[in-house]
Amino acid sequence: MAKAYDHLFKLLLIGDSGVGKTCLIIRFAEDNFNNTYISTIGIDFKIRTVDIEGKKIKLQVWDTAGQERFKTITTAYYRGAMGIILVYDITDEKSFENIQNWMKSIKENASAGVERLLLGNKCDMEAKRKVQKEQADKAFSSLARDILLKSGGRRSGNGNKPPSTDLKTCDKKNTNKCSLG
Amino acid sequence: MAAENSKQFWKRSAKLPGSIQPVYGAQHPPLDPRLTKNFIKERSKVNTVPLKNKKASSFHEFARNTSDAWDIGDDEEEDFSSPSFQTLNSKVALATAAQVLENHSKLRVKPERSQSTTSDVPANYKVIKSSSDAQLSRNSNELRKCSWPGVPREVRPITWRLLSGYLPANTERRKLTLQRKREEYFGFIEQYYDSRNEEHHQDTYRQIHIDIPRTNPLIPLFQQPLVQEIFERILFIWAIRHPASGYVQGINDLVTPFFVVFLSEYVEEDVENFDVTNLSQDMLRSIEADSFWCMSKLLDGIQDNYTFAQPGIQKKVKALEELVSRIDEQVHNHFRRYEVEYLQFAFRWMNNLLMRELPLRCTIRLWDTYQSEPEGFSHFHLYVCAAFLIKWRKEILDEEDFQGLLMLLQNLPTIHWGNEEIGLLLAEAYRLKYMFADAPNHYRR
Repeated sequence: MAKAYDHLFKLLLIGDSGVGKTCLIIRFAEDNFNNTYISTIGIDFKIRTVDIEGKKIKLQVWDTAGQERFKTITTAYYRGAMGIILVYDITDEKSFENIQNWMKSIKENASAGVERLLLGNKCDMEAKRKVQKEQADKAFSSLARDILLKSGGRRSGNGNKPPSTDLKTCDKKNTNKCSLG
Repeated sequence: MAAENSKQFWKRSAKLPGSIQPVYGAQHPPLDPRLTKNFIKERSKVNTVPLKNKKASSFHEFARNTSDAWDIGDDEEEDFSSPSFQTLNSKVALATAAQVLENHSKLRVKPERSQSTTSDVPANYKVIKSSSDAQLSRNSNELRKCSWPGVPREVRPITWRLLSGYLPANTERRKLTLQRKREEYFGFIEQYYDSRNEEHHQDTYRQIHIDIPRTNPLIPLFQQPLVQEIFERILFIWAIRHPASGYVQGINDLVTPFFVVFLSEYVEEDVENFDVTNLSQDMLRSIEADSFWCMSKLLDGIQDNYTFAQPGIQKKVKALEELVSRIDEQVHNHFRRYEVEYLQFAFRWMNNLLMRELPLRCTIRLWDTYQSEPEGFSHFHLYVCAAFLIKWRKEILDEEDFQGLLMLLQNLPTIHWGNEEIGLLLAEAYRLKYMFADAPNHYRR
């Protein structure tokens, strides 16, 4: 059988409940925005193959439930991840404060040197923004490899571009720095 | 001696006298002071009423509530005057025997037959009373038997209330019980619902609040503000009354079958598209309270699914793996070969009782049976999951890599399923259950 891909990357998506992890991944993996979203229970699995500079990159993404009670099951998936995407909601300060806790979880459960990506979601709701971009930059400046990436959940405003485009851009700019590269 | 006998009787008796009053001992949250007040008031009424005819109606109400207590009093008097102290023992033995006989013979024998077994015995008041208890338990057994293969839509609301244990089998007590339980629920709301914005409940309420719009988002009924408010109240009250688990995502799904079934009592047409503003306040309140209590009964049996680290789910997923390894080695080895773990797909099956895998109408049909089975939600569900998995064996064996398997298992095509498919699934689950109940080591590898 012919090889279906050149590289395989295993990613993990974490963050508070309701920040839009699933929307993000659905939009990324299926290239559409699912308006009738539903809460994730435990873990979910999504797949997408992208073409980057002529190479077929296969992405396996574990989408997790954000509620604390599910941590027992979700932390089991940190170890195998090559990249972890931390998501917060720019209209919800608490979800941004909790990024610290999610970082701690990574430290405790993931492989050393795992790539991390910080992502502020729901940029289409600029009017309700509570977390400024500078705040995020400042708080996580020590994490040189982190990239702050804005991605709107819905097809409006900033969110017009599907996240996959954004991720690819960031990948090109930051080869060797981003988990996707 | 007599005291000892009566102690035994108390232990074995299924119903306690005066059972109408709720017991709040050591419960969370603490005793509702308003209810205590009523309780004390009613108690004091008992003593004073015989003197005051004015309060006759409330006395009658009370007397009706506690009629079983008076019965027992009569019994005791007879026992003491009885020449032989063994009456109580023999009475218990008779009642038990009647029940056992009845249980064993119900497949072959008509109800009259086992009744005559009881009345063959030298009849006295107690034996007759026992047989009426037996009658009640026979009726519930009969109801379970009839409900197992599916309950007709028109009688489903009352049947579910009975099967869940929310409504007493005794017809005379039903109306009052319903009334009291509904009042009790709205007492909780009055007392606790305002606390949802207090700091220690903030996380709970926030989680519920963001999950409600995500509950069955494709069914218009659940997008109505009035319905969403009802769900918030039900879930919040349940959560703060069960601090060991609290609210866990997925529990929101478990309210929906009850809500739809109790709503169907008032709706002829398509329930899923019904506009609830057409219902009166009273109707909505009844639906809300009944959904709350039935959901509570269900969750009582599976609470370890939702406590810290979710041990109930971990245990059941392990049991599922063990079961599948014995009934379908090929599928099991296929999973191992491609490194698929049961937890990766079956966690949700347990956490949401397959509700995410099946259309709502199928879940409702499934619950007819779960409520008719002993430990349906906590134990029989495991066999249903095994049968459900094996149902897709061909599709599973056709997939030849990890991701294909996982994508399949996460999105099993059940969208067109109806009663027939659920009926077959349940039959297979039943077969599995009996195969393993009688031979735990069956197919041991």
